[in-house]
Amino acid sequence: MRSVVRKTLALALLACTAATAHSADWIQLPEWEVDLDGRLVSSDGQKSFVNGGLGTLRYDHPQSGLRLGRARFALSEALGEVWSLRLDASAWADDDRNPVDLTEAYLQFRPYPFAGYRFRFKAGAFYAPMSLENRAAGWESPYTLSYSAINTWFGEELRTIGVEGQLDWLGTRTGHGFDLALTGGVFGWNDPAGTVIATRGFALSDRQTTLFGRVGSSKSSPYQPIELFHEIDGRPGYYAGVEARYLDKVVIRALHYDNRADPAAFDSAIDNFAWETHFNSVGLRAESANGWTGIVQWLDGETYIEPHGTYIGWPFRARFALVSRQMGHHRLSMRYDSFAVESESADGGGAQHGHAWTAAYVFEPDTHWKVTLEWLRVTSDAANRALDLGIPRVATETQIQLAVRFALGPLAR
Amino acid sequence: MFHSRCVAGVLVLFGGFLEAAGALAATLTVAVQTSDGRPLGGAVLTVHALSAPDHPAVPVNAIMDQVDRAFVPDLLVIPAGSTVEFPNSDSVNHQIYSFSAAKKFQLPLYRGKRYPPVRFDQVGFVTLGCNIHDSMLAYVVVTDAPYFGRTDSKGSWSVELPRGAYRVTVWHPRTRESAEIGREMTIGDADRTSVTVRLAQPLQPAPLDARHSWDAY
Repeated sequence: MRSVVRKTLALALLACTAATAHSADWIQLPEWEVDLDGRLVSSDGQKSFVNGGLGTLRYDHPQSGLRLGRARFALSEALGEVWSLRLDASAWADDDRNPVDLTEAYLQFRPYPFAGYRFRFKAGAFYAPMSLENRAAGWESPYTLSYSAINTWFGEELRTIGVEGQLDWLGTRTGHGFDLALTGGVFGWNDPAGTVIATRGFALSDRQTTLFGRVGSSKSSPYQPIELFHEIDGRPGYYAGVEARYLDKVVIRALHYDNRADPAAFDSAIDNFAWETHFNSVGLRAESANGWTGIVQWLDGETYIEPHGTYIGWPFRARFALVSRQMGHHRLSMRYDSFAVESESADGGGAQHGHAWTAAYVFEPDTHWKVTLEWLRVTSDAANRALDLGIPRVATETQIQLAVRFALGPLAR
Repeated sequence: MFHSRCVAGVLVLFGGFLEAAGALAATLTVAVQTSDGRPLGGAVLTVHALSAPDHPAVPVNAIMDQVDRAFVPDLLVIPAGSTVEFPNSDSVNHQIYSFSAAKKFQLPLYRGKRYPPVRFDQVGFVTLGCNIHDSMLAYVVVTDAPYFGRTDSKGSWSVELPRGAYRVTVWHPRTRESAEIGREMTIGDADRTSVTVRLAQPLQPAPLDARHSWDAY
């Protein structure tokens, strides 16, 4: 049955793409990967946002102990020479409504380069090219378990559900020292993006929101789970980005994003507004031949709604600097995050200021095993702690995690 | 032919009566240095005869494998007319390509399958990449020279040559493609002749030593 479906899909695509000389290669088992990531956690954090609280860590104090960090299954199926299908599914072992759900699922068109240029096209659900930190499979960071505040937010609230085109100029293939890429995306189903940043604010975590999942827990109050990948106003959003690479040593990425949501639109089905969210992000990553890596990234944007014609806005900005050193199979990393959400609502609700330090040691003896020890401390001042929970605004939360990950399959690396 | 941008003048190392070409051989040792005088390993050397018919080397059948998402070896020097087989020893697919003028081609390498060798007829530099794994990079240098090779880690390369006049050309992946350096010279009576070639311009910085094969985004 499965092979019939695959053959039908392959034949359908054959009709709309150029036929290839290797038609016998059409029917091929997909490349796959399975990862299991177990954690030993010690946390003094407040009730985590995963459980409907305002904590800035993935694991709160009662969640200390043995945890399943992530179970992941990825699939890559070549559909002829230039098309491929990619699926990335994960289980996060928390209260989300689907125990296993997709983080990405897309069809990619990647023709061979021509005269130093290459065009790529994606359709489906996937990450826009913004992070310079989340570069490993499954959109994970090779440096730390918890992502920076910027990229935690990106993985929580944003996903391209639409199409993306990218034009590459492959300078390093034509005797030059650098490559350039221009990217543009058009998407829908991301109108609630901004809700989390105006409610909880920034956090540091590796919990990516799944395509059919939600942020938060329905079992707990006061915050109801937020459904992020939902179309409310029928207006597509867009982003445009540029990337420059110098000999794989220095990468610069800039992205402008605007979901073009109608801030007056409300959807009673998910009990939420369309949040007009737009931002600019610029990042730089530099690597040396002797194992040093430095990453800096800036984020500056705003989200707002207009209930009954009244503007309420939450401008936000965040930045981080990461330094990492790889020595053989060992890697040490240190990161400083700073973040702020301003509130333009009457009671100042949603305002948040904070900073975080992360230190991580990674031991990766081979492509199968990876052991990470991470220490993370977040200090934050959040108005909603006082307004909604009646607890002090300022909190310092610390989380230590020991993670052991086992990866299996041809895609594991 | 390689087009040399900067050709040094004729360098007569040893004058006097020259034997007919093809007679008594002598050893030529070429040392290649960077512009700041350090030995340059991995430089490609080709030697053309100027005073005798210049017969290209006999074509070969070479292999460039795919191992751990890298080309192995990452540089081949082959006579024009040679073929290169591209096996795939990885457990994932590759799609190799070149849009270099000397040989434009594209070849999917599905894992566990064999593909016919690719023939390189035209002299020049061919840059290879993989359409799936952007960090993969390799070169094929196609030459019509009768003698060719690469410098060792000490920047040195030796070849047995019949006495006569020659032009030695040097190229390295980290020079620009058109910026190979040529030198004309005569191998005379002595059994051993040495020449040092220093590049006029600094090399481009090397790409990362350990490229991140895990880069996925």
